Amino acid sequence: MIATTTPTFLRALLLFVLSFGQSYADDVLASIAARLVKTPMTQGQFQQEKRLKILRKPLLSTGTFTYHQSKGVIWKTLTPVSSLLLVNDSHLITAQGEQAVPPAFGSVFKALLGGELNRLTEGFSITGKDQKTAWQLQLIPKDALLKKVISTIQLTGDTELRQLELQEVNGNLTQISFTQISHPDHLSSEQQADFERLSP
Amino acid sequence: MMLIIGVLGRQVLTKDWLETGFLALLPASEQQPEIAKAIQQHNELLNRKVLWLTGAASSKEAIGHARRLKQQLEQSKLFNSIVLEMPQQKMAKQYQQLFPYRYQLLDTQTQLTLSNYPKDLLAQNLETLYSPMAQMMAADLEHDPLLLFSRYFNAQNPIKLTLEQGIVILHDADKYWALLLTDLEDTHLQLDKLETLLALVKSTTTQVQTAGGELMVTGMPLFTAQGSDSAKQEISTVGIGSSAGIIILLMLTFRSVRPLLLSFLAIGSGLFAALVVSVLVFGKIHIITLVFGASLIGVADDYALHFVCDSFAAKNWQPRQSLRYIFPGLLIGLLTNLLSYAGLVFSPFPGLQEVALFSAIGLLFAWLTVVLLFPLLLTGFKPDHKPVILKVANYWQQHWPVWLLKNRRWVCPLVVLFIAGGLWQLTPRDDVRLLQSAPAELLKTADKIKQLLPVSQENQFFLVSGHNLDDWHQNEQQLLEHLKVLTQQHKLMAYQGLSDYWTDQHSQQQNYQLLDKTLYQSGLLKQYMTELGFSKKAINSELKQFNDAKNKSIALPEWLATADESKQNLWLGCDSTHCLSLVSLIGITDLSALSSLQNLQGVAWVDQVEQLSSLFARYRIRVSLLLIAAYLLVFTGFGLKFGWRNALTIISIPIIATLVSLAMMGWFDQLFSLFNLFALLLVLGIGVDDAIFFFMAYNSEQSNTIDADGEAKRASTSLAVTLSALTTLLAFGLLAVSSTEIVHAFGFTVAAGIFTALACSPLVGHRVNPQDNRKV
Repeated sequence: MIATTTPTFLRALLLFVLSFGQSYADDVLASIAARLVKTPMTQGQFQQEKRLKILRKPLLSTGTFTYHQSKGVIWKTLTPVSSLLLVNDSHLITAQGEQAVPPAFGSVFKALLGGELNRLTEGFSITGKDQKTAWQLQLIPKDALLKKVISTIQLTGDTELRQLELQEVNGNLTQISFTQISHPDHLSSEQQADFERLSP
Repeated sequence: MMLIIGVLGRQVLTKDWLETGFLALLPASEQQPEIAKAIQQHNELLNRKVLWLTGAASSKEAIGHARRLKQQLEQSKLFNSIVLEMPQQKMAKQYQQLFPYRYQLLDTQTQLTLSNYPKDLLAQNLETLYSPMAQMMAADLEHDPLLLFSRYFNAQNPIKLTLEQGIVILHDADKYWALLLTDLEDTHLQLDKLETLLALVKSTTTQVQTAGGELMVTGMPLFTAQGSDSAKQEISTVGIGSSAGIIILLMLTFRSVRPLLLSFLAIGSGLFAALVVSVLVFGKIHIITLVFGASLIGVADDYALHFVCDSFAAKNWQPRQSLRYIFPGLLIGLLTNLLSYAGLVFSPFPGLQEVALFSAIGLLFAWLTVVLLFPLLLTGFKPDHKPVILKVANYWQQHWPVWLLKNRRWVCPLVVLFIAGGLWQLTPRDDVRLLQSAPAELLKTADKIKQLLPVSQENQFFLVSGHNLDDWHQNEQQLLEHLKVLTQQHKLMAYQGLSDYWTDQHSQQQNYQLLDKTLYQSGLLKQYMTELGFSKKAINSELKQFNDAKNKSIALPEWLATADESKQNLWLGCDSTHCLSLVSLIGITDLSALSSLQNLQGVAWVDQVEQLSSLFARYRIRVSLLLIAAYLLVFTGFGLKFGWRNALTIISIPIIATLVSLAMMGWFDQLFSLFNLFALLLVLGIGVDDAIFFFMAYNSEQSNTIDADGEAKRASTSLAVTLSALTTLLAFGLLAVSSTEIVHAFGFTVAAGIFTALACSPLVGHRVNPQDNRKV
């Protein structure tokens, strides 16, 4: 009766199993957090490159994203196929309908996009460099099971998050760059409608 | 005799003799054995499951509470399974076991996509692979490039739940909840275990609350436990209440402990014998039987009271002589009471058969005690005072009928109007759910949990049959197609049928051929894999694996062995003539849309609630006829013995009592069901008792030339009738305070009936004028 989202379910389970340790805030983290623009809304474009070990060429995709602090994330892939993914803490909707939310995805994905660094410290040990032009953070999962799947997540940015890199233990690599980032005051009617689907 | 009972009692009552399960009360299904078996299998899981949800502001805290709760539950030793973390190994194993059959086991959606637009399947895969969730959704791309098995595996769980640390996490507006599932060790719920369960729920609730969280618990066992808990409290309330009432009444009346002790002797031996014999016959007795049994105190006391009250009737009272006078009355009283209980024996409800046997044996032994022992034990007993209640009762029996007769011009029409009006408003309610009146708080929690976690199976289900496996599969698939449409129309939230997960050998081959035709032969697979960037080697390996799997198939038993308990329970097996399965339902919003599907080939709709309710309705009519038959029988008996005119006089008392009782139910909008009719059988017994003693007193007047003696007999009879009515009212009236709806209805009906019988019985043999020997 209990569902999982994944085909390889073991892996997915590992991903789900995020144990939150005590919170740990570094000086670096604090100063980076201070640099980030803090608004309830962020939107922009993304270019995603996935390198899967079994595939000889990378999977390239582009699209737009919208982050809303309380409503969640709209991830709209435009090329090479268009598809829509909506996620918040409790719901996940893909083209194939409502899915179970793996918390490692639901909360972490949103926290990553919104630069909610404090929330990330719950599940990851974070080290980083805060340089003049850019900062860089290395996230290593704390949970033993998750460690078996994800080796590191690397975040790079300035006043915004510019790049996210996820290195899997099995050698798969995902790189996402964010461009044309803006912070509008309110949601467009289309965004409004998408979020409406997420929390009816 | 008592010795034998005593010895038997020692042997019998040392065993576990008290039954508390709600289902034990219900009649064994009248249906075919296969439906009964299906119901049993369907309920078995439900009857053991207890569901716990710990809530807190964050999921982390909720999980913390749940982990501590789990430890406590483990220590209690009440459960044979406690599941907090979902059994990952088991699911991983299932994944491995079924993976080799991925080309044969396709879920219905995939089948549909493949037969209509095979390219859509590939497009969906691309969407998945390009989404940021690809790691999770397509992690097995290497071994399953079409993601066929992930589709199949996901489709097995119609309801998507979110896991955190392997624990199911739910959340509502302001709280996160962690789910813990437990199975009680024993399907057969024992009272002490249920008490321990209730205590455990209480203590853990407090503990979670002190730790800052919240705990919600639900499950069938909890409802049963609450039910028996309140029933137990009611037994002691009713028992103590009626005992106290009797003590006060008797002490005031007789100013001697002897009648009191003798009454208790009669009641005690009656109850003890009843308990022993019932346990001997039924193995166990139900707690509801004891609740009704407690009210027996009132009836059993009748006999003792009639005997003892007679002592006021003669100056030189001798118990043996007295027995000679009251014996016919006592005997007729006993026979009518036994007759009315005999009616219950023919009811289909094991619970009521128990009540009938329990009461009949109790009365018989109380009666025997009175008749055999009282003459001895009452030797030398002679009260030399006139108790106030005797004077009152006598005054009342003399003047009340006079007043009634004088005012009959308006009293009669008023009574007729009252009865007619009440009967007009009387509407039967046979809904079985009224039987179980759970505390509002428990229902509220259950409701809230159902909203959070809509996984609990409904009571209703489908039973699907076929004369062989293929036939069954076809029939179930047909049903499931209809159910799918209903879920799309939001008339049903989800359903589970085996044929969606396991297809028969033939369909497995068809699935393989479908894949072969649409994706493999057509070259679409090769194209898809090449475009994605798979190596030539990987493509060839996939083609080879597909080829090698050509003749693979998995049989139902092997498939079932990998499935979880809830799916295994859907299968009822095959015999030489047919195969049977259940289709369970979740979240029904339109019952009639579902029940109309029973016209499909090989499909039966099983609605236990509806079926029991209609059973109740049918038996309500049957027992009504039984009641009328009992009246006719009693009437005929009296007619033969006392003459038809007298018989009519006597029988009119319980008839009026019954009508008034029914009318009261109508006026006060009381629950009117089968159970009230059983109460009316009691009203018949007690009403006849009252009337017969007044009639005997009248008879003794007739045969006795000394008028004064006859008057004294009437006086003592009215005392006995009054006392017995009061004690009975106390006992049954207290049942009316019960929170269990049927017990309450029983009490209300009897109380109304007894009161009316008390009010009317002095009319029997009443002389309008002491000089004029005419009766009314």
